[in-house]
Amino acid sequence: MTDLQAALGEHNVLWAPEDLAGYEYDATIERHRPDAVVFPSTTDQVSAAVILANAHGVPIVPRGSGTGLAGGAVPIKGGVVIALTKMNRIIEINPRDRVAVLQPGVINLALQDACAAHGLLYAPDPSSQRICTIGGNIATNSGGPHTLAHGSTVNHVLGLEVVLPDGRITWLGGRQPDAPGIDLRGIFVGSEGTLGIVTQVCVRLMRNPEAVHTMLAIFETVDAASEAVSGIIRGGVIPVALEMLDNEIIKAVEPRLHVGYPLDAGAVLLIEVEGLRESVEADAERVVIACREMGAREVRTAESEAERARLWEGRKGGIGAIGALSPNFYILDGVVPRTQLPAVMSEVLRLSAEAGFRCANIFHAGDGNLHPNIMFDELVPGATQRVLDLGGAIMRLCVDAGGSITGEHGVGLEKRSYMEWIFSEHDLDAQHRVRAAWGTGDLFNPCKILPNSHGCGQAHEAEIRHHLATPGVYV
Amino acid sequence: MTTTSTAIDAVRTVLPPDRARAPETYAIDGVTPAAAFRPETRDEVARLLASCDAATLAVTPLGARTATALGRPLTAYDVAIDTTALARIIEYEPADLTITVEAGMTLATLQQTLGANSQFLPADLPPSDAATVGGLLATARPGAWRNHLPNQRDLILGLTVASPEGTLVHSGGKVVKNVSGYDLHRMHTGALGALGIIVEATFKLAPRPPAIRSWAIQCNTLTQAADLAFRLWNQSLPLRALSLLTSEASRVASLTPAPHVLLECGGYEAVLVRCEEIVRRETVLARAIGGEAIGNQPWDALRLAAGDLTKTVLRLGIPSSRVAETIEAAAAAGCTAWGHLAAGSVLAHGLHIEEPAIESLRALAQSHGGFLQIESAPAPLRRTIDPFGAAERDLVASLKHQFDPRGTLNRGRWQEHA
Repeated sequence: MTDLQAALGEHNVLWAPEDLAGYEYDATIERHRPDAVVFPSTTDQVSAAVILANAHGVPIVPRGSGTGLAGGAVPIKGGVVIALTKMNRIIEINPRDRVAVLQPGVINLALQDACAAHGLLYAPDPSSQRICTIGGNIATNSGGPHTLAHGSTVNHVLGLEVVLPDGRITWLGGRQPDAPGIDLRGIFVGSEGTLGIVTQVCVRLMRNPEAVHTMLAIFETVDAASEAVSGIIRGGVIPVALEMLDNEIIKAVEPRLHVGYPLDAGAVLLIEVEGLRESVEADAERVVIACREMGAREVRTAESEAERARLWEGRKGGIGAIGALSPNFYILDGVVPRTQLPAVMSEVLRLSAEAGFRCANIFHAGDGNLHPNIMFDELVPGATQRVLDLGGAIMRLCVDAGGSITGEHGVGLEKRSYMEWIFSEHDLDAQHRVRAAWGTGDLFNPCKILPNSHGCGQAHEAEIRHHLATPGVYV
Repeated sequence: MTTTSTAIDAVRTVLPPDRARAPETYAIDGVTPAAAFRPETRDEVARLLASCDAATLAVTPLGARTATALGRPLTAYDVAIDTTALARIIEYEPADLTITVEAGMTLATLQQTLGANSQFLPADLPPSDAATVGGLLATARPGAWRNHLPNQRDLILGLTVASPEGTLVHSGGKVVKNVSGYDLHRMHTGALGALGIIVEATFKLAPRPPAIRSWAIQCNTLTQAADLAFRLWNQSLPLRALSLLTSEASRVASLTPAPHVLLECGGYEAVLVRCEEIVRRETVLARAIGGEAIGNQPWDALRLAAGDLTKTVLRLGIPSSRVAETIEAAAAAGCTAWGHLAAGSVLAHGLHIEEPAIESLRALAQSHGGFLQIESAPAPLRRTIDPFGAAERDLVASLKHQFDPRGTLNRGRWQEHA
């Protein structure tokens, strides 16, 4: 502690038990108390903290805002949490080169706001963007509604300054894409804080489009809405966003936020197209036709910026609204090929009903990225375990449909055991080698991503016995 | 030599005899391998690679051989593994906008397959669509579409790679969004086959725009061209490419030998009509000489020039705002030069570019936080100047050690095994 305080300043090190409580968990699951939390302000301080922790044989866990949904920032073996929230400076916004350079603790929305002043945007827009940090977005390769057209975080990060697990500072990538050599940047993004700590990042910015059309398509059933999603994509239009909200979500959102979703709809699709005016009109027409073909009751178009913002408010506030409906809920994140969406969605609803739980769905339908939210009450004996079992069954369903166990939330602690469903022993061995190459020993964000990490035990169910989601999380 | 011959005789027994090829056709930098094979399945690739690894033979995987002068000259080259027989479609569901293909399929065949469903893979790498899928990933060379359309780096969803141990290692998947585990597929992108042989890849596809149109706008000076290009970039055009050409580059592209802005847009017909209006308006505002719609020929010519193995070709990464001055600097050094504004990419090529000129262009790029990569050059030049320039080396060395501990693959391409 004394060494850390000497390196970072006394007030940047917390170690009293009452101060540490807020850093034992992220937005879900397992919790474990760290031995200390440090708040570096510079790259050198991050490096110093890493070197000191290594010297004392103490685990290190990097942390942003703690909004992760897979336990990536949970200090499961104790040790030092390195919180990057004080490194929150936007260093440069260069509208001519369309790049921004910033520190990892910058809030996603703060970057968006700073870009908007120049008519530019940073495309990744996770629903937690009001509080999540860019560093955290890099760790999980965050997506968001606009991932459909613009890609995930990795497609927008040009270069990174990182502190490696041994404390060495280096740059991966640069200020332009396609820097020479092996794409170390590409493998770092999405590595869930296991390969190092981001201390500075250069991102690519895009120009705001001339026109945006936001539509709300209203369907009688989830099935019809799912078919419409497939129909739109098949028809050759890739909207910038294509989101689905089912009746459970509508019932949670509408009374609270009054955004105009019909309470009796089976599902709505929130669809956005952008570009030149002529392009947007033609795309919108094709979207409307595809929706009508699948039986849409109505397709509304936002007539003003205020109306557009309201439609999105319902989407972004959807998960928070579920909190009012249920004491607890469990957010899932799975992906399926888009053509499998109708079949998988109907199976998700069937499995939930069979298990006796209400399931609310609000998700990135255009990407085939599902987010079923299972509502339950932890006080009902056995309910938590049954919810976990249902979650496992839904993940299995995604895998069997040719999909994946996570689209944007990450593996973290939560899904380590599911990795074996999609990867062979050889595949996982190769992933262990990545960690070995980066010098990620047993102490650098231990027990994340890979099953059977040294000294981490295994059993998924045992680890997440206390897996209780709470309102205030995002998808 | 005898040891190598014995080892190669052992390797020959691994595959059916008809997989052997005449080594002479696989010469790289004037060096002919002792043996060459054209395996027909991914398992054959894995078995062959493992047997070479066990015999400590140096292996170089090859696709269409369009980028053999990229990287340092090989320090050993015993066996060529030709991947072009692996050219099957594994899975294609047009409605999912994804495809899984074997690595030896050419980009041309892939585009043809996708075109039948009005889809395409937005990769326009040099020198042409003759390159293989494995090659386009292993070299990760960008083209004029970079930063307007997603690039192969952004479109790779999953990969299967044969390891020197003879296993087939898979990463990612076939869905368009996936964060399960480490993205090994990104690590292999741009690795020049030094960490494993790519045998299969899954891509995210894009719908082909209903129509595509290009314009060439003649300017008085390159500065004026840059001004116009920035004006166009700041419109909401559905750009696919926006490039600046010197007089000499214009000549290579069969245009009037004068500085040019070259741009390509894609979209509905009504959109292209509007693009035409915007292009005309901005041309007048920039006081440029004037423009005309052109076909694909200038773009193809630039791709060929960027992938010309008979010349020295340099690729510089540079901020967009510095593209014009970097093109001028390359031209002053005797190169034919052009650049892609949005990607911050400058291409320079010449029959012979002197070392000091390369070093000073690299210093210029680095002074703006950029880089210079030698895409192609005679072997001696690539021995004296690092083709990649300063970049993180220790991590590359330790990845190489983890994934190819005996240094079997593409020996010497990277610094650490020089």
